Amino acid sequence: MYIMPKSQARALAAALAEDYDLHGPVLREESGEPMFDRVEDPAAIRLEAAIPYNPPKSVVFPQAERIMSYRYDREAKTVSLERDDLVRPKALVGLRACDLNGLLCLDRFYLGQEYVDEFYRDHRKKMFIVVNNCVRPFPQCFCVCTDSGPAAREGYDVALTGDGDDYLFEAGSEKGQALARRLGLKEAGPGAAGRKAKIIDASIARFDAEATENKAWISRVMNRITTGFISNDIWEFIGDQCFECGACSFVCPTCSCFNIEDINSREGRTDRMRSWDSCSYEGYTRMAGEHNPRRPVEDRRNKRFFCKLSYSQSRKYLRPGCVGCGRCNRVCPGDIGIANVVTYIRREITKAGAK
Amino acid sequence: MSTRTGICNFCGTGCGHLLKVDNGVARGVFASPDHPVSQGRLCVRGWHIHELLSTRDRILAPMVRRNGRLEPVSYDEAIAAAADGLSRWSGDEIAFLASPRSSNEDNYCLARLARTVFRTPNIGLASDQGHGDAADVLLEGAGFPAMLGALTEIRKAKLILVVGGDIAKLNPIVGSEIHRAARRGAELVTLSGRLTQIAKLSGRHLWFKPGTLRHSLAALAKVLVERGWHDASFLRDRAEGFDDFARYLAGLDLAALAAASGLEPAAIEDLARSLAQAPTAMAFFTSGIAGLDRPSVALLFDLFLAAGKIGREGCGVNPVAGICNIVGSYDVGASPRFLAGCRRAEGPAAGRTPRELLAADPTPLKAMMVVDRDEEIVRHAAKLKALECLVYVGAYGNPFVEFAHVVIPSATCAEADGTYTNTERRIQLSRKKIEPPPGVRPAWRICADVAARRGASWPGASAEDVMREIAAAVPAYGAVTYAGLEKGFGLQWPVDAGHPAGTVRFDAAAAPRRLRFVPAGADLGVAAVSKDFPFLLMAGKANYFWHRNNVMKKTQIPKREYNALLLLYPRGFVELAASDAKALGVRDRAPVNVIAEGGSMRVAVRISGDVKPGTAFVPYFIEDMVPGFLNAAGAAIDEDQESAIPVRIEKV
Repeated sequence: MYIMPKSQARALAAALAEDYDLHGPVLREESGEPMFDRVEDPAAIRLEAAIPYNPPKSVVFPQAERIMSYRYDREAKTVSLERDDLVRPKALVGLRACDLNGLLCLDRFYLGQEYVDEFYRDHRKKMFIVVNNCVRPFPQCFCVCTDSGPAAREGYDVALTGDGDDYLFEAGSEKGQALARRLGLKEAGPGAAGRKAKIIDASIARFDAEATENKAWISRVMNRITTGFISNDIWEFIGDQCFECGACSFVCPTCSCFNIEDINSREGRTDRMRSWDSCSYEGYTRMAGEHNPRRPVEDRRNKRFFCKLSYSQSRKYLRPGCVGCGRCNRVCPGDIGIANVVTYIRREITKAGAK
Repeated sequence: MSTRTGICNFCGTGCGHLLKVDNGVARGVFASPDHPVSQGRLCVRGWHIHELLSTRDRILAPMVRRNGRLEPVSYDEAIAAAADGLSRWSGDEIAFLASPRSSNEDNYCLARLARTVFRTPNIGLASDQGHGDAADVLLEGAGFPAMLGALTEIRKAKLILVVGGDIAKLNPIVGSEIHRAARRGAELVTLSGRLTQIAKLSGRHLWFKPGTLRHSLAALAKVLVERGWHDASFLRDRAEGFDDFARYLAGLDLAALAAASGLEPAAIEDLARSLAQAPTAMAFFTSGIAGLDRPSVALLFDLFLAAGKIGREGCGVNPVAGICNIVGSYDVGASPRFLAGCRRAEGPAAGRTPRELLAADPTPLKAMMVVDRDEEIVRHAAKLKALECLVYVGAYGNPFVEFAHVVIPSATCAEADGTYTNTERRIQLSRKKIEPPPGVRPAWRICADVAARRGASWPGASAEDVMREIAAAVPAYGAVTYAGLEKGFGLQWPVDAGHPAGTVRFDAAAAPRRLRFVPAGADLGVAAVSKDFPFLLMAGKANYFWHRNNVMKKTQIPKREYNALLLLYPRGFVELAASDAKALGVRDRAPVNVIAEGGSMRVAVRISGDVKPGTAFVPYFIEDMVPGFLNAAGAAIDEDQESAIPVRIEKV
């Protein structure tokens, strides 16, 4: 472990900018909103900013992306293909632990199974990740319930933990070590690991009083969802409140579903677009032959929470599909962000237990 | 990638968004959590506006029709062809069709072009009947021709009454705000002829027979007044015309109203009592393409006025506009009924809408200028084709182009500065975020160039200059400046010397005159079933299926959702209760003939729990249905989405 004065954060970003496209939390000029975005100027990265409104997944899985285009020549009956070069080494500076866990979930979906998604892989490879452990929670956070924070355990090149005027700088990889050397950082000494543990424990202790927007007790509910012992009334109560906007999927750091559409143009070129999709839409599960296994809205909501919270899905991600960032609760036009759904189900468990 | 603050251009809610632009192309959108109305929420349409903005189905070159074919020409040639072509006609031979999705600047210039250069009052939005009726009633009753309350005050209402169409589908973020208020403890009541999502979220649903909204509202008002539950001191201090209203109610028969509407007298009484007792109450109804008709809005206004729920915090009668700038379009005079500033157009200044002129047989129209329309074409395709001069100005590919003699491409909402006024009168500035294609100009500029060709010199060189002119012409915009709008998330009109920071809601105590009861007028009427026509048919819209979908079809995900339903029911559907379908001997998706006195259509059955036995519902977004049925039988539906027509349904 090393010590890096906070004043050196800009130098860290500048050093990475030499080899990578920089992405990180910024405060938008117009309104001061914290967003995770591509930055040209390393000084724009604001490590102290609150958790960004948008998850960083658009770096590896953009909202709308052309993955290929082709042109059909009618006369010659030939097709010419064109592929966009997606390989840009990227540095993610100032990722929060929940969002890093989200990225690891996406890795397991896109890279960790029998099929490897080459577009995702091209974005993901040669990536440098600097995680910024949370020394205090934000109001919407519940990562302590989903085992995804406030400190990251894996998947980073560098982990920073704020300690007064300094950061404790942990290298998680060879690349991270090299960066520490390049920045000329001081060794933190033998007490550093203990100090970090204390800082993180203090952060966890503040959740009760400060992270007041969402209280989710994920573990109690995973069992229920996995075994399916949730009454249909609850799903209908949840389904009636779904406005079918798709926002929960779009702001979720782990949601990976996409749609593919070929878009023709008058001049003959076709763009193959991949874009974010959501299980809240009726068209999402419609199959050829007009069959739709999840046509009623409550069936679609049921699917989402099964995906996030059931044991069988957790085996896929090696963790729950929810990372406790609280974004879905903030953007939901109904009242069915994941923390609320967990509450509704727990309330039912409590009632059933009392019977 | 750059992220720029913007305003959603779909419905009248006016949600804030952050548009992501990559190399001059919109590649994403994110909700703006700080926006006072939307607060981080968007609906399915709003989450996909980048798909529309990046569509390649754009009009890129000015064109003029020669020998039956559209040929590319220079911009100046197109302007000349448009100006010269239109100038040959006058009076009722010419009309201007504006878009409720255009900016205030665009519509102000179009209205000015129509009224001052081509000297015709025939300018309209075509889809504005419902909003026009609402503006008219509120102007008469309160001197305030738009939402009396505010979306940002929904949380202060203790009782919320949603009337008619499904606000959760049409304006989802307004529906969300209402739902949030209910989750916090406000009482939510829906009054409708169909089981809507907002009805499912309501504590009480008064489910009346189709076509009896007026009867239900009149019954509520009668109970409220005759039990003495009206707010007598408020009415004494602030209102006039109560005695006439009470006399009108006295002439109605409560038992007959209850019987017509099918509502339990006890439910009517309970709601009237709740409305009277609630410290604050708001009413919401969707306006726009087909909102409530004038008598219904008048009765709703009178009911809330009698209950003392107008002009105070957390109160108000609130029309909710279906398209983003209907309110602003009215404000700047893109209507035959109102001049800029919502002054009633009278005498020769009063015109007719293009729709009225097209509907006349034979139509007097010879020439039209159309800006960015995406509907209303199927009904009158033959008449449009026969026009001597049709000028189309728009950004996207559009069926009007097929009939146009002159086509001029215009910038999209993301390609030009402009202001849009949402349903709570919030004037919002949307800055240019994307460079338009080469040579493509904003619509207000095109209007100015056409005017210049006719010898009129308009000095404005920027959208901001046009806003200066609007501020001078429209009293409610008197103190509006781009700098002022840009400081926050817009300002709610009136924004004038007395209210430089805008006006959150109508304030009865500060109003220049007393509130007035608005006569509901004619007899309440009722569509009655008969042996020959035993079903009552309603028509409506749903969230993906509006504006004839020329816009939605340029997106991907919303289009897919639209197609998911269309593939199941390619020629439209009629919703029937399961028991009725069984009695007819038809299963889901079986074809039936729906026959009304004036016409018939063949559609598929969709069995639904959302309609009561004896009633049926058609979503009127499907083009094929329109010429065959709604043209003949749908006049009532045009006027009021809560109206109903008696039909017979036959198995095919």
